Amino acid sequence: MTARIQRLADLDRTIHEPARLMVVALLAAVQEADFQYLHQATGLTKGNLSVHLSRLEEAGYIEIEKSFRGKYPLTICRLTDLGQGALATYRKVMKAAM
Amino acid sequence: MQDSTNLPSSLDPSAAARQLIQQAHNQDGLPEIAIGLTFLLVSGLIGAQTVLPKGSFAAKAVIVTFAFLLPVLGFCTPSAIRWVRNRFLLARVGYVQPKPAGRQQIALGFALALLVTAALFGVVTGALRPDAWLIAGTGVLGGALAAFSGRLPRFVIYGVVMAAVGIAIALASVPIETGFTIYFGLTGLMVLVSGCVVLLKLIRQPLEAGD
Repeated sequence: MTARIQRLADLDRTIHEPARLMVVALLAAVQEADFQYLHQATGLTKGNLSVHLSRLEEAGYIEIEKSFRGKYPLTICRLTDLGQGALATYRKVMKAAM
Repeated sequence: MQDSTNLPSSLDPSAAARQLIQQAHNQDGLPEIAIGLTFLLVSGLIGAQTVLPKGSFAAKAVIVTFAFLLPVLGFCTPSAIRWVRNRFLLARVGYVQPKPAGRQQIALGFALALLVTAALFGVVTGALRPDAWLIAGTGVLGGALAAFSGRLPRFVIYGVVMAAVGIAIALASVPIETGFTIYFGLTGLMVLVSGCVVLLKLIRQPLEAGD
């Protein structure tokens, strides 16, 4: 039991933060989504979301692509394979501990 | 990602994400408008079938329309909603590309569409003569589905109204065609009007500053 609980110390803190976990879980459930969609779905402020996306991009968990659709700027986010793996590991550790 | 059922939903990021996606999917009222229009169409077709002389060209046309239009609508509506969103509401609701449906999902959707079409087709043509419980069952099951899958408070209200209308019609002992006409007409109108109000409110909201 103790060993299982101690595994929580191995949790990936980049993903463990609730807002980032929400973003990563959302991106895992879709192929890609833009900033506005993530803003609407998560309820995070734009500034907050922007900071979390930068952290995830720095960690290599998501990739961000900026483009335009007509005059509308699109900031498209996708979960990378590394991000998929990190989320799967996070879930495994949580499941083992709980 | 495959073994999400082993975690309680409050701890399962995938389950939480699905809820958020469903909420986001329903926030602009477009799915309700589509469902409302489909229900009104079904109501109109069933109603027309009861009014038109049996065996007439118009009655046959209604049956053929029923048989072909509903499955087509079922398959085309999600793409149409996505197109409208991406074309007109991108700045307000954002862009999302869902994962392509797996074979199992497609097969399940196809089987469900066939089952519903066959049941309604049976009612329209008179081949199926179920008792009033079918209307009550449709109301209760449809209501439960709406309340559970909508993930928004207004969907719970739809669910309660759908169940109440279904039960009330069943208790009124009207002929089944008339019952379904009233059921789909009333619930379709409710969902359509509500969806239009939600969409109008969304459109009238001032756009936030860009990211």
